[in-house]
Amino acid sequence: MILHPVDTILSLVLLSVLFSFGSSRLPGLIKVIAFQGIIVSMVPFFIGHDMTAGGVVFTVATLLIRGIIIPMSIYVAIKKVAIKREVEPIIGFHASMLCGLGLIVAATYISRQLNIPFISNYTLLFPTAIALLATGMFLLIARRNAIAMVLGYIMMENGIYLIGTTISVRARHIVEFGILLDVLAGVMIMAIILQNIKRTFDDVDTANLRTLKE
Amino acid sequence: MVEIVFLAPFIIGIIAFFLPKEISRRLLVGIGAIHLLLSLLLWKNRPEAIFKSYFAVTPEGLLSLLVISLLFFLISIYTVAYLKESEIQHENIFTGSMILFLSTMTMVTLSDHIMVMWIAIEATTLASAPLIYTHRSAASLEATWKYVLICSVGIAMALLGSVLITLSMDIGNVDAPLSFSALVIVAKTLDPMWLKAGFVFILVGYGTKMGLAPMHTWLPDAHSEAPSPASALLSGVLLNCAYLGIFKTNKIMHAAGLNDFSGTILIVFGLMSILAAATFILKQNEYKRMLAYSSIENMGIIAVGTGIGGIAAYGAVICMIHHSLIKSSLFLSSGNILLGYGDRFIKNTGDMVTRMPKTFVAFFSGFAGISGFPPFGIFIGELFIIVGAFKTGHYIAAGIFILSLCVIFAGFANQVMKISFDDSDSNKIIGLKEKASMVWPQYILLLTSLILCFYMPDTLYQTIIDAVTAIGGGFK
Repeated sequence: MILHPVDTILSLVLLSVLFSFGSSRLPGLIKVIAFQGIIVSMVPFFIGHDMTAGGVVFTVATLLIRGIIIPMSIYVAIKKVAIKREVEPIIGFHASMLCGLGLIVAATYISRQLNIPFISNYTLLFPTAIALLATGMFLLIARRNAIAMVLGYIMMENGIYLIGTTISVRARHIVEFGILLDVLAGVMIMAIILQNIKRTFDDVDTANLRTLKE
Repeated sequence: MVEIVFLAPFIIGIIAFFLPKEISRRLLVGIGAIHLLLSLLLWKNRPEAIFKSYFAVTPEGLLSLLVISLLFFLISIYTVAYLKESEIQHENIFTGSMILFLSTMTMVTLSDHIMVMWIAIEATTLASAPLIYTHRSAASLEATWKYVLICSVGIAMALLGSVLITLSMDIGNVDAPLSFSALVIVAKTLDPMWLKAGFVFILVGYGTKMGLAPMHTWLPDAHSEAPSPASALLSGVLLNCAYLGIFKTNKIMHAAGLNDFSGTILIVFGLMSILAAATFILKQNEYKRMLAYSSIENMGIIAVGTGIGGIAAYGAVICMIHHSLIKSSLFLSSGNILLGYGDRFIKNTGDMVTRMPKTFVAFFSGFAGISGFPPFGIFIGELFIIVGAFKTGHYIAAGIFILSLCVIFAGFANQVMKISFDDSDSNKIIGLKEKASMVWPQYILLLTSLILCFYMPDTLYQTIIDAVTAIGGGFK
């Protein structure tokens, strides 16, 4: 079996997924997000849809926002308020790594079962998308640091984008761009809230955010 | 020229951020009036959109739009008085966000493209986040954080669901625009497996925003921490917007002949919400959180009604309209209580009947309306749902439904009695004069609900029937 170029770059994303399970420091995690953002927005170039000029512009804009602007804004938010750099795990790193491996295996198995006709040429596409989604969920659940949770959300969005752009050509670029702007605005608002959390509690540990119950 | 209804508030909302606060207060009422006028024109003429593939005027959209317009206008009158009484820093952010919030919600009601719908619903989250953080306290910060994160993650699920629906088109070899109205026509040719998967993700996603249990955890926090006019908007109309997303997807499911599948899931989620509300409302000690749980209950009722279909679907739409009218009046009254007693706990209020008589009238009749007393509309809606449940043989669901309603009524009544009639510390000074503009909006909302029970204009009735027929509802 010959490996398609898309699969080659996606295998790097899968590795970065594993890395994000084990990374204990926020700057490292942000770099992983930026890397995934860039790769995921490059995938449409390699998949056989015809690229119009407008399509190229939108893809490049996506790459800029997903790969550079969003990670940078989170990074600046950390720098500005000098937040602690640890992700404060609820589930330990070794256990997380094991979860990650199991998750990738499960993602591969599931996508074999589903057998979607359009992307059967690209062996790793669907597994990677599922893995990104599930890893984002995992970070949301298993990390107490508020920034790690935002990063989890961005990773989920990356996964959905990967599925969305590849299995279907229907969503016109203008709509995709709207979705992207929404995500960008969401991340910006989250960054503002993060700074306020830091100012109010002097920390971004979400254990502080437990006063409202029932 | 449909688009102007949401573009006008969008532009004015952005301008309002930069104006002095006296002017932006007036702008708030002004845009409320203009918006109401535009919505009525839309009702009368039902024009076509300029961007036809993205926006359309649909019966269910028109219903929600009218509710949004009417509520926003009345709430904006209240808000001006409320802002004078309470001290809010950065008032411009508050008024600007209110107007932007109106714009995004209007966009939800008019969008026809699946992805544009998603964009609009996510935009409502973003526009309303600053409203919840208005008081700048640690608790409101926590509520905002939960709201933005949980809703964004939830709505990401809805995006995945929308993508799966496009997949069902590709597999079924369907060539149609990605809009709800086009998909209803070609629904039979869509791949059923992926359509079902898409519906489940969309229900979980928009259900998070709608406040269905077990994804409801952000709702009591957000609704209790936001200033009361914002709570009234969040509870009265934002939840309807999320419901609209589910409703429109359910239309596709009905047209594809999969309404048994979607109905069952809706009933299960609805009953879970009603049960969750019944559990938590009993021991609530804050009145705004109590109202928030009541919203969860009502969203559950609407979901159950939609799931059962037939006459119950008609009941669900009736419940939706009246819940908006009554619940927003209750939240506005709770704003008066908060300003009057200066405290959010039920135990520190009391004797409202003599101390704030005008607010008492609004609050107490609102309570009677929301817990399903005749002659208010919720009673009729719930009756239709129960009759529909028995007619279609959903006996267990009907049993749980009725039992939970009784529990909720008992819990709710207990707390309302405490607020209204309990002896309170007579030295406590009531810090609020009950001005006309702080009670009349509530009265008008309640009166509208009352009038709609006895006399419903023909065009309104026909629009409701048109809307519910598409999901298999109506009187046949």
